[in-house]
Amino acid sequence: MDQPLIRLEGVHKRFGDLEVLRGIDLEVRRSEVVVIIGPSGSGKSTMLRCINGLEPIQGGRIFIEGVDITSSKTDINQIRQKAGMVFQQFNLFPHKTAIENLTLSPMKVQGKSRSEAEQIARDLLDKVGLSEKADDYPGTLSGGQQQRVAIARALAMQPDMMLFDEVTSALDPELVADVLNVMKTLALEGMTMVVVTHEMGFAREVGSRLIFMDEGLVVEEGDPRVMIENPREERTQKFLGMVL
Amino acid sequence: MDQVIKYYFNTEILADTVPQLLRALVVVAEILFFALLFSFVGGLILALLRISRIRVFRWLAGIYIDLFRGLPLLLVLTYIYYGLALVGSEAGLDFLILDPIPAAVLAITLTYSAYSAEIFRAGIGSIPHGQMEAARSLGMTNTQSMRYIVLPQAIRVVVPPLTNELIAMIKDTALASVITVPEVLQKSREIMGRVANPTPLTAAAIAYLIFTLPLIRVASRLEKRFGKGTRPIGM
Repeated sequence: MDQPLIRLEGVHKRFGDLEVLRGIDLEVRRSEVVVIIGPSGSGKSTMLRCINGLEPIQGGRIFIEGVDITSSKTDINQIRQKAGMVFQQFNLFPHKTAIENLTLSPMKVQGKSRSEAEQIARDLLDKVGLSEKADDYPGTLSGGQQQRVAIARALAMQPDMMLFDEVTSALDPELVADVLNVMKTLALEGMTMVVVTHEMGFAREVGSRLIFMDEGLVVEEGDPRVMIENPREERTQKFLGMVL
Repeated sequence: MDQVIKYYFNTEILADTVPQLLRALVVVAEILFFALLFSFVGGLILALLRISRIRVFRWLAGIYIDLFRGLPLLLVLTYIYYGLALVGSEAGLDFLILDPIPAAVLAITLTYSAYSAEIFRAGIGSIPHGQMEAARSLGMTNTQSMRYIVLPQAIRVVVPPLTNELIAMIKDTALASVITVPEVLQKSREIMGRVANPTPLTAAAIAYLIFTLPLIRVASRLEKRFGKGTRPIGM
């Protein structure tokens, strides 16, 4: 296979005195679904945010499709169009309708015409099962609906990979399934995904690789089905014992 | 009671005063129109400089804002009208000699830009950081994120405090009387001197209240509507 879509080399990240990432190496290849688990404070969300250039790093390098995003010569806005990001708190634009949330960036950043952007947006809203909500404002949608719009918004930029940061953690339990189903569909279509989550069912069913992080390091990685049944490391066993 | 009516609500004098005050109100409206426009634009620019990533901009904007928030408007007015004119005539720099109304507009703009800068800054600061992050994650530049995502939401937040600022500005136009602007207070004092009766001041009070009272009502309604935690913006 060709070069990995995402490559992290010895990534270090500090918030003041607190070292959140202590040398992370990671490779994600095309069409892989990498699921990242770990206790809160393990650095898993921070790592995801680093991949999208939302957090500057203090050491190491991050490559997206072979381009070093930590280099000052790299246009980070260009890179971000390749990696769609979905947040725990949805972060939809409350002053824009669902479809406007989807069309804004394709029009302003990629220079698409309104009609082209709307065509893409309608197809995506249909895909996440919300075509009838196109003209509604986010405030009138349920959490699960908002998160599906947020996924569609990231997809509207036609990215090569998607980053999911605990996207179901802020949802009521009965709304989680709809969001996970959308993510499953994406995975089946071959989308490259990095998913930070506590949903072990999703990891088992959809994940092509499972990574357990703790205290800023990758402790263990492997096939999700094998690793969930037979974790090698003691810390992984302890963590899985608590969440399963 | 008769005395009160005679001195404060003298109908004859009122009838004589009102048409003259109406002309003064036009002057007030003129000053307000320009000062409001310029100080809101100036305030927005200052606020953006104040949160800029470029340190010198932050620093300069900070100094400007602190300076003009700390100075009495009356001093600024006097400085710009009399102070500049003095220098202008001594040094032969005619452009420094301003007419009273432009001088009033300039002084109010300079001062209120600093006030509205702080309001805009607070408004921008009240928009959750996630909004900026979401915009950036979609490939928008910092400027695009500000323009399409943060500012449109911040504007809604700052409408109530800006309305309050407008009310303060209306009242502060009375200060322009010290630089001979023929505004409401100046006119009414002039008439009072002529008729030896304070009723014109009553007329002036009514004139200000006609401007300010509706705005006070609007402001409190807006505050309720945009109040914290009532409901998300944009619904």
